Amino acid sequence: MRRNTKILSLKEAVSLINDGDQIFTGGWTVVRRPMGLVYEMVRQRKKNLYLCANPGGPEVDLLIGAGCVYLTEINYIGHEVFGHPYNFRRALENVDEPQYFHDDWTVQTGALRILAGSMGLPFLPTRSLKGSDIALPALDPLKDKRSSDPKLPNRKIEVIKDPFWEGDEIVLVPALRPDVCLIHAQEVGESGTVRIQGGTFLDYHAALASKLVIVSAERIVPESELRQSPEFNAIPGLAVDVIVELPHGAHPTALYGHYDNDPWWFKDYLAASKQEDLFQSWLDEWVFGPKTHEEYLTKLGSKRLEKLRSDPNKGYNPDIRRRLDKLEEVVKQ
Amino acid sequence: MNRYSSVEMMAIAGSRLITDGEAVLVGTGLPLVSTLLAKHTHTPNAVVLMESGLYDSNPESLPFCVADPRGVYQTPWIGSAIEIMGQFLQNKMVDIGFLGGAQVDRFGNLNSTCIGDYAKPTKRFEGSGGACDIAIMALKTIIIMTHEVKRFVEHVDYLTSPGWMVHQYPDGKLVSREEAGLWGGPYAVVSTLGVMKFHPKTHVMYVESYFADMGVTPEEISQNTGFLINVSQAKPLEPPTEEELNVLRRVVDPEGIFMKY
Repeated sequence: MRRNTKILSLKEAVSLINDGDQIFTGGWTVVRRPMGLVYEMVRQRKKNLYLCANPGGPEVDLLIGAGCVYLTEINYIGHEVFGHPYNFRRALENVDEPQYFHDDWTVQTGALRILAGSMGLPFLPTRSLKGSDIALPALDPLKDKRSSDPKLPNRKIEVIKDPFWEGDEIVLVPALRPDVCLIHAQEVGESGTVRIQGGTFLDYHAALASKLVIVSAERIVPESELRQSPEFNAIPGLAVDVIVELPHGAHPTALYGHYDNDPWWFKDYLAASKQEDLFQSWLDEWVFGPKTHEEYLTKLGSKRLEKLRSDPNKGYNPDIRRRLDKLEEVVKQ
Repeated sequence: MNRYSSVEMMAIAGSRLITDGEAVLVGTGLPLVSTLLAKHTHTPNAVVLMESGLYDSNPESLPFCVADPRGVYQTPWIGSAIEIMGQFLQNKMVDIGFLGGAQVDRFGNLNSTCIGDYAKPTKRFEGSGGACDIAIMALKTIIIMTHEVKRFVEHVDYLTSPGWMVHQYPDGKLVSREEAGLWGGPYAVVSTLGVMKFHPKTHVMYVESYFADMGVTPEEISQNTGFLINVSQAKPLEPPTEEELNVLRRVVDPEGIFMKY
């Protein structure tokens, strides 16, 4: 493995993603998601993607709604308390001939699957899943595909007897080995050292488990700056292939120390995503309309971005309101 | 008119089930509200854990989700799901798992996955998140949810998080939690009407207390439960104290994000 990190434009970086790739999106539900990269994937009309976030947030629901996704292996897809993932729901509810498939997992087993991938191991053991329907072969939604699809493990789980100690039954979960890992961070060095403030979630492990790692960051900084305090750096450059400078690249999700969740975005998105035609109009306006990330930020406007800015000491914006039914009160303030 | 809502009473009843010093792994929403209320009143030394990796969270402002920067603020250490879920939880360091759900049955089995047939659901929810892991490996679990016939059901449509009678791998046969090799188990269900516990031998849910001060009766709990539930031991629950209500409204959830004032 040789370090060969490249600085690319957003367009160039996303053009490296192929239709049918398995993609891990970094961050956690509505926090630090690689949204700028995801918007560009939609603009480039990527198709038949396999997604494996742990857990998934608006980036997954958006890609499903935009018709980019074939299959998800994810423990949770949602927008937390903002509201429900209507595109995800619509793709599964009362569907006779599904075009999209979802396999349920859990936070712990998803984490172990990506950890196994990062270690070059085919699987890891866990005490979770036993007793749950998530473990049952008869309810495995991918059971007909596993033997023929090289992107899927040939079974969901296996149970063995612990050969070393008490002989308990132990569940084995297969590694995740994504083609692409997309991460947004606060800072990245010119050679790919990634600095993340706040939770790092599973991003380090996902980067090591994936074949192509694309990191967007609020700013690209000299490596010498990051070498001053290596203990604050989350991912070494050896694991990073492509870096992109992308201010506000996690909008509308929260980025610790930089900006908070954009409740106005969630309000619009949730209203639009309830219906297929309204969602297509939303995509036209917010994703296809702006041809570049810069145009997207211009459309959002500096006033709105300013309202989201975090208090640098607290990491979040203490003044922002998060109840979508009371946002009007805030606008007037 | 009551001077407080049933959701507030539910959050308060939940907080009373936590003991000082316990490590509590919480989900977003009411579990978090109840646990932070306990932390600001009678359990200042409880250790609040969140599945995204947050440890000993003591937020100034209510976190919106388990990864919210508000939950990170001034924590003494931070890990990931590998540490919190793969190590702390699996290594029996979590005293209480605090969970919500869409459906619960008499054995405390929880569904947070779908309504209807799993292969073709009529309603799809966000999914387990860490709930299944927590229900399996916490030393005990507390469940908190609205009390309605459609939620307290004879059989859950999908068994996301195992309670006292679980689905055995690989055939799905109903077996006891112990037979499936699991420790822990549901300790209480806190609802908008009262607090339910589980019989120590049969592990069947019964009503321990009801929100008498709000006009709730044991009969009302029976009527809102989709399975036969024993109310013979039900006692009135102490109404909220001024301190509990004040802390809930002014400190824990002043915006009414979860309490919906």
